[in-house]
Amino acid sequence: MTPDYRLDLQGEPCPYPAIKTLEVLPDLKKGEILEVISDCPQSINNIPVDAKNHGYEVLKIEQHGPTIRYLIKK
Amino acid sequence: MFKNFKESYLVRFWSPIPAIAMLGILSAYYFGITGTYWAVTGEFTRWGGHVLNFIGVNTDNLGYFKIIGLSGTPFSRVDGVMIIGMFGGALASALMANNIKFRLPQSKARVFQALIGGAIAGFGARIGMGCNLASFFTGIPQFSLHAWFFTIATLIGVYFGNKVATSRLLCSKIIMQKVNKTKELEDLNKNAKVNFIIGIVVLIFMIAWVVFLAFGKIPEGKKIPVLSIAMLFGIAFGYIISRAQICFTSAFRDIFLTGRGYMARAVVIGMMLSTIGVFSYIMLGLPPKIMWAGPNAIIGGLLFGFGIVVAGGCECGWMYRAVEGQVHYWIVGIGNVIGSTILALTWDSYAESLATSFPKINLLSTFGNYGGLLVNYLLLVVFFIIIVMLEKYYLAKKRNQFSKRSN
Repeated sequence: MTPDYRLDLQGEPCPYPAIKTLEVLPDLKKGEILEVISDCPQSINNIPVDAKNHGYEVLKIEQHGPTIRYLIKK
Repeated sequence: MFKNFKESYLVRFWSPIPAIAMLGILSAYYFGITGTYWAVTGEFTRWGGHVLNFIGVNTDNLGYFKIIGLSGTPFSRVDGVMIIGMFGGALASALMANNIKFRLPQSKARVFQALIGGAIAGFGARIGMGCNLASFFTGIPQFSLHAWFFTIATLIGVYFGNKVATSRLLCSKIIMQKVNKTKELEDLNKNAKVNFIIGIVVLIFMIAWVVFLAFGKIPEGKKIPVLSIAMLFGIAFGYIISRAQICFTSAFRDIFLTGRGYMARAVVIGMMLSTIGVFSYIMLGLPPKIMWAGPNAIIGGLLFGFGIVVAGGCECGWMYRAVEGQVHYWIVGIGNVIGSTILALTWDSYAESLATSFPKINLLSTFGNYGGLLVNYLLLVVFFIIIVMLEKYYLAKKRNQFSKRSN
């Protein structure tokens, strides 16, 4: 799965990863994929839920220790 | 088989709803066994008191310490050992899941935000006689009206906190990049095995401490070695909040920020489970913890709600994130202790006009035992409905707002 864009939010505490993700997603074209990287583990409870609620598709969630990669499709 | 179990339960994050339900039930048992509720900020204030004593400030005449008590040490108080248990449980959980990474704040603004937000939240919590626990999650099931005042005010405080936290000054400056492959992430999993073993060692050490306390002195007026049990519960609380990344701050905050209220709904369900448990202990003769339903609870809630959002975490949320290596939350914790200590130092000048001259209202005395139970459940149902309505309203509003930005 190849992303078209990346949002590397390592170091940012919650809620910024969730807000930033929702802010940039509308800039994608339909079908494009955004890679979000966050090391705020609590993002596991917000990024996937928010993405779904706002009409995007969560393709993959990968947990690398405390760092989580989300692949989200518009 | 063990590998499967480990992956599903010890490494992957837990779903918040069963976790909060468990916290609700455990906190009712905790009350039944120890006679006090699950709370953390009172103890943080006592730490501040010890620091004051250490630097030569006499705390004997401070009224606030007469109310919450300052005798003994964190190792000899129920709240003290419970908190040590929470840190231990959270640390064991984070290690076993390989969820440890040293993370520094990315800007000076974040440091400032953590410290000031933490101090405002600490002050607000203590003037309101409890944080998201004693004035909310474990306070409402005690039938204390002050907890309802505090909770409603917190919701308003959170709303204003959001305005500051998402202001241009504090918003994230990171920008999206065009890429054609996923980023190589540092392989932190190489430490997973070692961390898992250290986590088990931490857990064994904590359990050994619990056993040690079980053979210790039984505190006056208690039938059982309550310190041991308090620590055991602390370990469970810490382990669960870390495993499910329970965040009371986000429960309130994110309703307004993104239109997501599922953590808030989970919290209300947790309180519904807790309420009936606490009620049965009260019926058996245990006195509930009731606080003044005065302006202090409202002021406290407003400040607390504002502070936790600015800081990015509340009094129990910073604890498990601090042991994960997030320096941001060490600063929030220090802020909390500073804020609550300032409250203790200044309390006597406004205590009477804001708090102590107001009645301590117990819903079970006001409406009768079953009447009070019913009123508390009705209020919880109304609260749940309000959350669902806010969630619906803000989700529609935010969907619109975020999607318009790009045009």
